[in-house]
This record gives sequence, structure tokens and C-alpha cells, in this order.
Amino acid sequence: MKAPIPWLKEYVEIKLPLNDLMWKMTEIGLTTESYQTIEGEKVLEVEVTPNRPDWLSILGIAREIAIIEKLKVKLPKLSDIPEPSSKLPLKININSKLVGRYTGITIANVKVKAAPLWMQKRLILMGLRPINNLVDITNYCMYELGIPIHVFDYDKFKSSNLKLELSKGGEKFISVDEISYPLPPDTLIIKDGDRVIDLCGIKGGLNTGISNSTKNIYIHVPIYSPTVIRKTSLALKLASDASYIYERGPDRGGNLNTLKRVVALVLEFAGGKVASEIIDLKDKEYSPAKISVSLNKLESVLGFKLEWDEIIDILSDLNLSPQKMGEGLSLTIPTYRGDLKIEEDIVEEVARIHGYNNFPKTLPTGTIAKEKIAYYFNPKFQNHLKTLMYGVGFSEIQTLSLTSREQLIKSQLNLENHIKIANPVSLEYEYFRSSLVPNLLDSIKLNSLLKKLKLFELNKVYFGPPDKHRELYKLAAIQSAGSFREFKGVIDLILEKLNIDNFDIKDSLVEKSIWHPTKSAVIEAGDTPIGTFGEIHPKVLQNFQIKNRLWAFEAEVLSLEYLSYDPIFEQPNKYPPQIEDVTLEIKKGIKIRDVISSIKISSKLVSSVELVDIYNENYTFRIYYQAPEKTLDNVEVEKIRTNILKILMKKFGITIHQ
Amino acid sequence: MHDEVLNIKNEAIARIMEARDLDELAEIKIGYLGRKGKITLLFRDLKNIPNEKRREIGNKINDSKKAIELTLSKKGEELTNTSLKNKSDIDLTIPGIIPNIGHLHPQTIVLNEILEIFNHLGYQVADGPEIEKDYYNFEVLNFPDDHPARDAQQTMFIDVANTKYKLGELIPRTHTSAMQGRVMEKTTPPFRVIVPGRCFRYEQVDASHGVEFWQVEGFVVDKQIHLTDLFGTIEFVLKSLFGQSTKIKFATTFFPFVEPGVDAYIECTVCNGRGCSFCKKSGWSEIMPAGMIHPNVLKHSKIDSSKWSGFAFAMGLSRVVTLKYKIEDLRVLHTPDYQILKQF
Repeated sequence: MKAPIPWLKEYVEIKLPLNDLMWKMTEIGLTTESYQTIEGEKVLEVEVTPNRPDWLSILGIAREIAIIEKLKVKLPKLSDIPEPSSKLPLKININSKLVGRYTGITIANVKVKAAPLWMQKRLILMGLRPINNLVDITNYCMYELGIPIHVFDYDKFKSSNLKLELSKGGEKFISVDEISYPLPPDTLIIKDGDRVIDLCGIKGGLNTGISNSTKNIYIHVPIYSPTVIRKTSLALKLASDASYIYERGPDRGGNLNTLKRVVALVLEFAGGKVASEIIDLKDKEYSPAKISVSLNKLESVLGFKLEWDEIIDILSDLNLSPQKMGEGLSLTIPTYRGDLKIEEDIVEEVARIHGYNNFPKTLPTGTIAKEKIAYYFNPKFQNHLKTLMYGVGFSEIQTLSLTSREQLIKSQLNLENHIKIANPVSLEYEYFRSSLVPNLLDSIKLNSLLKKLKLFELNKVYFGPPDKHRELYKLAAIQSAGSFREFKGVIDLILEKLNIDNFDIKDSLVEKSIWHPTKSAVIEAGDTPIGTFGEIHPKVLQNFQIKNRLWAFEAEVLSLEYLSYDPIFEQPNKYPPQIEDVTLEIKKGIKIRDVISSIKISSKLVSSVELVDIYNENYTFRIYYQAPEKTLDNVEVEKIRTNILKILMKKFGITIHQ
Repeated sequence: MHDEVLNIKNEAIARIMEARDLDELAEIKIGYLGRKGKITLLFRDLKNIPNEKRREIGNKINDSKKAIELTLSKKGEELTNTSLKNKSDIDLTIPGIIPNIGHLHPQTIVLNEILEIFNHLGYQVADGPEIEKDYYNFEVLNFPDDHPARDAQQTMFIDVANTKYKLGELIPRTHTSAMQGRVMEKTTPPFRVIVPGRCFRYEQVDASHGVEFWQVEGFVVDKQIHLTDLFGTIEFVLKSLFGQSTKIKFATTFFPFVEPGVDAYIECTVCNGRGCSFCKKSGWSEIMPAGMIHPNVLKHSKIDSSKWSGFAFAMGLSRVVTLKYKIEDLRVLHTPDYQILKQF
């Protein structure tokens, strides 16, 4: 909402320097962060919250400034509408569900010309182009008082019996600015017989618009149902200053005064004579509501005791006419404050005018819950994973969950499982991702000048269908240099640090995927999938324009958490191990992991086995022989080794390297 | 024999006195006192000395040995001191070889800091769905259907073709406040809850807006919760995060799920309050919208609003990160450029 300073000054004196005024306005809820200078005048930019349609008027803003300045607001002069001295009959049928209150009047023999210059200038400050005296007066009064007004050319009516109703759909409407709209059903319209002459609350019709030759006019000030106007506006994707006000529900007690103001200005600047009684249709009397507020409530919400006099002053300044009633106050709510409905609303009024920045500050004194809340989440495990990852040289990225169709196709992911946005901002953000790997690939590409990149991300991925959708945390990492064993070491380390040892590594069976068909595998523990690791599919790399091969893994965080446990302490062995290196000839196709575990389980006295060297088909293992109660001698070690070699020969046909 | 002992002793002492470094000294020590050292050999030769002279010569050798040892130890100390005082040949300013360590994302660092602060105040963390029902995102929170209050949170819709849902019933949540209803309807007060998480809005992407951003929602329900507690909590949290000298101010605002409604601003850290593009030249940055929980929200979650009350607030996590590290463009946070990542 624009608020020109000279216009505000018509209703209230402004003594504060502009910047102080703007902050005070912001503090009490009329956020004003900037102003413009138009034609030498300062025009405030006020952000009006949807609960305060009364602030969509210069007078409404002036009322708040008056409270800040501790002054009374000067209301615009209102004179009664003269008795009709001419006769232009008009009838309108309304449905009170669609329009809460409706006022109107006809005026005969007006003269269409330019509006007075001061009025034109104010409209320009509001960002409007002056048109003629009649149209300008309606716009002027809307900005001044906050209720939209429309003026029709009476002589262009096909009938003096108007009807306000919902469109059936398919009607044609041409607006004053000569745009044609086919109407969907349930938009609010006025008809003069068969023709649509007004798209209520949004735009007037061309067929009954004001022209230079207009002589007789009909002015109406309706207050429509906010939801009907909102639905109309959304259905047609069409909004106006008027629809903006109507959606927020303007002052239902204010139409008559608005009509008086418009008529006075019309008679003054366009001449003419009142030609009908005032039409004033309403579903009920819109008189000020009553709210009572207890001092107890006030104090308990605020957290401290305000002086009685200050409370009374604040409520009086707000025009709420406080009356003492028992242990509290009875208030009379002006019709323009439709937002004040419950005690808490009154507490806010007192609090904001007292000034939030004048409050004492405390911390809650209540109880800390003993029980876990619903949806309890312990971030410790995820942080542990992140710490491990960055400890071994990986840098964390955080990327968006929404991704493009193109990105999914490039990654060879199946579109079907992906949750989709029906109204994406752009095609870049159309699908929820099901894997963290594609954005890691983007990142490798983005940083392609760096040769040794290690990146990870821990975030959610999403799987459809939408009504049974799943959101899972995953941890994914990628490495752009180094051997496979170096990368595999990261996975081994993480599993070791989490004490996850009971798992299988299986060939991945998915044909088309982001992973290399033969150089990737799945890790499982029983039925629990842990994750996938391996090389990225060469076709995917090509799609991402990445030249070097990449190793990556993606793991399910919840599975890792579920399988991991705290280490169980073991007393360190006092007797040093016998350590020996054994080089074995192992044919291709034999899994080293199986060889190591065979060595390990061959004897309780084998405490640890490491792979220390590979040369062609010769694998050197370092075996630690250790007994809990003594140091093993050579004869004992020899016995164990012989047994190991026997097992390996039998199981895998492996022989010792001579 | 007598003279020989004396000569060896004098020779040894002379050599010791002239020794240039500890290595030479060690060599000398071996030459005289070692297993085949001259003094050791003298002792060995003692058995060839006639009985009557043996004691005297033995004493002489012993005295010489002691003298040599004493000189050795003194010279040793002297040489050690000198060598320590000698200019080191190590250039201590040479850059080290950096161990291989990665970087945590600034958002992780700041979120951990925030969670620690709230942990200290007795809050528990909740985590919930990002793809949310309109009911929890809006309805429970007192956003009427077809009300312009929803316009402030431009919403994307999930494509619900072939499901039981109507378009608009399932949405990417627009705020973490959506977790208020979920937690409240299943938890008996009192409770203090903090909800970090991703949110989505239908917004064109620019330096200060994104389709996605992170919030940290917090809410407290208890018997005696006051507006002063909310102001105090916000101040405590912001000063813990940004430092005790941080300037904070409060203003009135409107959200359907709070009454009274509060907005908290901190002096812009990018420009120190002078006004910049980040704070739209105002010198202040809106950081923590908040308020007392609206009685309707409690009612929707079957909590008796005559017995219980509470406050709620939301912090733009992405914004806190940008303010903390003086980052002028929100997009930096989700750009996986190593030149950015390595700074944290």
C-alpha cells in the first residue's frame, strides 16, 4: 500500500522525523521499510498484513499514525446525501450470502470532465493514471476510506432491474479496458437482463462504463463475500486493487459513509442531482461488536503488570471505548476492526501500542518434559557420520531436493518412482530426487579443475507414489581420484567405526542404473539394505560430461544407525602377537574378503588378518597369532598356519607363493 | 705405570676440552672408558702389577677415571648448551604438510550450534515429513481455506494423479510450523520442541529467495508461558548465536497461528547496520518471526487452551548462515563449489 505523506497529513499531523515514523509504524505492525519520492513528494511503501484491510486506506494508516503521535485523527468531512430532486429508478436483487451489505444511488445530469488537479496528483502518487472526474472520484474514495466503489453509466443499462448472481459458466464479459473474458462458473457478476455488466469486485464492464457523454450515473458501494471474490480472482487469474481489498474483508459498517463521501465529491466536481433514494441492503445490522477482556488474562499473556491508566489510554487511543467491568474491561469494537475477535487479539493491541521493545525479558520457568515428544529425532548419529566423512577428507555439500527431469534421465533413474510437482516454478525444480548421487556428479563437473575431489552429502531422498510416499535419509560420497582400494577403505572404515561387521556384499542386479553394471555392488545385512557402492556407469559419466572414472557410494542412514552399536570393551592382550607375512597365489575370481574371513575363522588364535601387498596374483597377508594367556611359540604358530593353508587349498585351491 | 696413568688422564682431559661436539665427546668417552677404552684396559692390567703397588696404582687409575668422567660431564653440559643456542637449521616458518581432512557445510556447522543452544534450554528435536498434508501445513495452523493469508506462502502442489488425494491436499511443506500440529496432537504438554528442516515455496529464485530453504521451528507449551518469555528466549538465542553485543529489535506482525504476533530483527551483519543490498538498505534483517500460539491451534490439537499456553517461532536457518558468514547471496549455500566449501 502506498501512503503519500501530504495525503496522510490531511488527517493527522506528523511531527516525528520520517525514519523514526517508519520504524514506529513497523514496530506496531505497519511494516514500512522504504519510501519513494514521486513528483517531489514522499510516498511510504507500507506492507499491510492480511488481517488489517483497514490499513488498505490512507485514513486507516493515518489512524495508526495518530496513535504513534498521540494525536486525534481528523476525519474527512461527511455531509448527508440530499433528498432526491430528480428521478432515475433502480432496483437490484442480491443474495446476502454473496454480498454482506450493498449500498447504491443514482445521480442525474452530471458533467464528465477532468478531476480537480489536487485529486489527479494524489492518484498519480498512488501509481494511478487519472481518467475523468467520476472514475477518479471512485478511486480516490477507495484509497481514502478503504472500500471499493463502482460507477455505471445509467443510460446504458438495458433494464433498471439489476441482478447480482453467480455465473453459470460460458458467459462473455468485456471489461472497461476492452479485454474479453469467457467466464468460468461461480464468478460473481451483475446482469441487466441478459448482459453481464460487472465482474464484481474485480473489473467493471465496457457496456456500462463512463464515457465523455455520460449524463446519468449509478454509483454502488458493495461489500462482497471475501471468499467468493477470492475464488473469482483465482479462477480468472485476475486481481485488482478492489479484489485485493475485498478478499481481506473491508469494513461492513462503512459503506454508507463511503457513499456519502463519493456523492458529495460527485456533486461538487461533476455537478448533477441525486435521483434516487439510497439503496441500502444488508443481511444484518453491522453495529460495533463487544469484547470483554480480563486483566488477569492480559497480565498472564504479557508476563508483567501494566499500569491501569496506560491500558485505558491505549484502548481509548485505539477507539475501543474501554469500560470497567468487574475484574476487566468491556470494549466496543468499531466495524473497521473486524480482525478483533477474541481476548488474545486485544492483548496484542495493548502489547503492540505499549511497544514490544519496552517489554522486560524472561525465560520460561516451566517444566522440562521427561518423556520423548512425538517425532523425536536424535541428530547425534547423522552428525557422527558427517564427522567421520570430513575426518577422512570428504567435504560436505548441501544441494536442493528438487531436480529436473533431464537430470534424472541423465542419471538413468526411473522417472516412475519419482514424486512430481504439479505446478513447478521452473522445469529445473520439477521432481523430488531419489538419489543424492546426481548432484554429486554435478559438483564433480563444476569443480573439474580440481583433480582430487572427495565430496559427500547427507540429506533426504524421496520415493513415490505420493499417497504412500517415503522420505529417507541417505549418505552419499564420491571420489574423483585415487584407487578403488583407497575409496573402499572409506567404506570399510565407516562400517568399522559403526561396529557393523555382519554384512554381505552382493552383485547389483539392476540393469539400467547410475551404477556400473559389473563394477558395483550392494551391501546388505540380513534383509536390511545398507547401500550401493562402485563405479559410476560410463554412460552416466558421459551424460554429465565427466571424463575420468568415479567411485561413489550411497547408504541408507537409518539402516546404518539400526545396525551400529557402541564398541564393547576388551582388555588388551598382555602377550604380544606373533606376526608373519604369508604370500598366497590367488586366482582371479576368488573374493579376497572370503579368503580373509576363512583365515580369520580358522583358529581362535588368529587375532587379525591384513592384506598388505598385491603383486600380480600374489597376495601378501599379515597374520597376527595371539593367545590370551601366553606368547605362542613357533611350533604352535606353524600348526595354525599349516591348518590355514590346508583350508585355503581345500576351499579355493589357493597355494602358498614359493 | 704411574706416569702412564697420568699421561692417559691428561691426554683424555685435553681431548675432552677440545671436543667440538657431542658426537666427538661420545667417541672420546668410548676411547677411554668403553669396553676397550684406555682406562678400562689399565684396570685390566692391574693384575700384572706387584701386590705392594697395586692398591696405589689402582687408586690412581680410579681417580683418573673420576676426573675424566667429571670433565666429560661438564664438557657435555657445556656442549649441549652451546648446541641448543646454535641457530637451528629448521625453518620453522615453512608451511606444513596438511593432513587430509574435509569440510563440513556451513549450514551443518550453524545448525549444530543452534541445536546446542536449544538443548541447553531443554528443547527436544522433532523431524517430520517434507511432503505434507495441507491440513498440517495450513488448516491446523488457523489458515482458513481461501484466505489471503495463504498468499504469503506461495505453495507448490504435489502431482497426485491416480491417488485418493485432490490437487492441493498434498504439498511440499511451506514452513516447518507444519510440525506443530503433528507433535501437539500426539504429545502431552508440557513440551519444548525444535524442528529443523527443509521448506519449499513457489518463488522465483534470486539472491534472497529460493524454491527451497531451511527453517528451524520452535514451540513451547506449558502452564505459564508469557510474551516476556518469548522475547527473552529470542534474545538469548540470537545473542548466543551472533554474540552478546548483537542489536535486536521486535515488531508486531501477523501470522494466523499466533496472537500476538512478533517479528524479530537483528542489525544486519553484512553491513553492520549501514544498509546494504542484503538488508534492502534498512540496516536490519528480519530473522525470527514468532508469537504466542493462537488458541485455535491448541484447540485443533485437543490441548485445553484455558490451561495451557505457549509460544512459537521460526528461524530462517539459511538466513542465519548467510548473516553469520556475511554471505550476500542465498544461492551460495547450495552451490557445491569447492572454492566455497573449503572456506568452512
